[in-house]
Amino acid sequence: MAALPAFQQYQLAFTAHIRDPKVHAKPAGVANQRMAVYRHAIFNNFFNIVSACFPVCQQVLGVRAWKKLIRRYVAAHAAKTPVFREIPESFVACLASMEDVPANIKALAHYEWVELAVSHLPASNLPLSVQHDLLDEIPLLAPHQLLAYDYAVHNISRQFIPRDITPTYLLVFRDPHFAVQFIELNAVTFRLLSILSKQTFTGRQALTILAEELGQTDAQVIIQFGTGILHDLLTQQALLGSTTSNANAT
Amino acid sequence: MSTLADIQGAGLGLKRELIPQFQQFYQDPHIANIQFVEIAPENWLGVGGKALHDLTWFAERYPMVCHGLCLSLGGPDPLNIDFLKQVKSFLSHYQIPLYTEHLSYCSDIQHGEAGYLYDLLPIPFTEEAVHYVAQRIRQTQDILGQRIAVENTSFYAACPISSMDEITFLNAVLTEADCWLHLDINNIYVNSVNFGFDAHAFLQQIPGERIVYSHIAGHYQETPNLLIDTHGKDVIDPVWALLDEAYRLFGTFPTLLERDSNIPPLPDLVKEIDTIAAYQNRYGLLPIAKATPLQATLVAV
Repeated sequence: MAALPAFQQYQLAFTAHIRDPKVHAKPAGVANQRMAVYRHAIFNNFFNIVSACFPVCQQVLGVRAWKKLIRRYVAAHAAKTPVFREIPESFVACLASMEDVPANIKALAHYEWVELAVSHLPASNLPLSVQHDLLDEIPLLAPHQLLAYDYAVHNISRQFIPRDITPTYLLVFRDPHFAVQFIELNAVTFRLLSILSKQTFTGRQALTILAEELGQTDAQVIIQFGTGILHDLLTQQALLGSTTSNANAT
Repeated sequence: MSTLADIQGAGLGLKRELIPQFQQFYQDPHIANIQFVEIAPENWLGVGGKALHDLTWFAERYPMVCHGLCLSLGGPDPLNIDFLKQVKSFLSHYQIPLYTEHLSYCSDIQHGEAGYLYDLLPIPFTEEAVHYVAQRIRQTQDILGQRIAVENTSFYAACPISSMDEITFLNAVLTEADCWLHLDINNIYVNSVNFGFDAHAFLQQIPGERIVYSHIAGHYQETPNLLIDTHGKDVIDPVWALLDEAYRLFGTFPTLLERDSNIPPLPDLVKEIDTIAAYQNRYGLLPIAKATPLQATLVAV
């Protein structure tokens, strides 16, 4: 491979120093006071953007450890997105690749990022029916993510840092007023919503599938039980209503 | 349909914090001098929910300019074509007639992988860099099917391998790329202090016929000879004087106030917009006065 032009060699030395000043010396002939402007501006910019998305991680780890993590991220990670909103996602990916970061922190970071991701999910363009027939039409979910974690990430705080594995199911969704909400689910409701999230089954069809999976011979029991759950979800605005349009139909 | 001719007078950079006030004061005569707004595609590409709702609100009410931050025209990694195509469809979807970018870079190559640093870094002013950047601007214009404007950027570190000064570099790139100039008045001043040159002499060498758009802003004085382009304070008098001189030399052009931090309430902030309008009125409002010959050739791009 041909050697890079001098100006690009300089540029790469410049950014290598900004990313990791302890390992890479500044390019020769650049005033340290001036170089410091870039070191500080870039680190602070990353720090502010990332910290804004992960307040609980920051609180749980403490400022020193948190800063160290972001330093490692800036030094080692090639962020691929030009879109600022997606920087926290690249931080989550970087964290996931760090072997010395505990699994509960990785899960918490993912959960904190989901709030941002859900706030920007596209809205469904399926038409809502006038009546809310959750059983015989297709229940329409608000923009959402269904999440399964090994830890009760939604309860983590400085005072509560779970170390034992507790399967945790969450629905994170955006309500009609653009606020992001979460609901803790049990495993069965999680499964029901997973079936419904394809937006192809009516409530009755989804509950029938669920009854089969649960080995319940009398589907009516599950349908009755599930109807109550669907109405609760409607009240909480996790369901927007129902539609007769199938998401897979063209 | 917005066209370049709709971008005129004075404008304000759109910050999230300002959105509720914009909505509150919409059509209030006190903010009448805000004739257009500017957004960074990096903040708005692919948004949903509340942000999409707000973006649509503005797109329906104000002419908009896109001022990019992450195209990395001077970057060592390949131009992000995928991103550029997203910008193109964004411009077309919201009928945004002008896209501008910085004469700088914000990305590098880490362990063989391209990565972003999200800040405006100084390109060494060398002959090779002129050709390299000009080629990437041309490539950008080819992909977008429209001419872009390139902004003179504020810098803090002089590059020891530079073989020319900033104005020579800027002019060489503009000529070779055959692009427009997005003239940042405050950046001329900031760099004149940071690198000890005469801001007015710099301004006099600007190719006025390429100016389509400009910025004005405040900055932070770290030391008497080091200014940081924070957009966090009021515009200072020497910068207003430079704007005045630019209008006198080149005719007026649309000018946007950048305010990114320490943002006063809109009714206060608008006073600086009014000042821009007052300077413009002094010279008669000629939108994009000198851009016509370049616009004519754009049809061929």
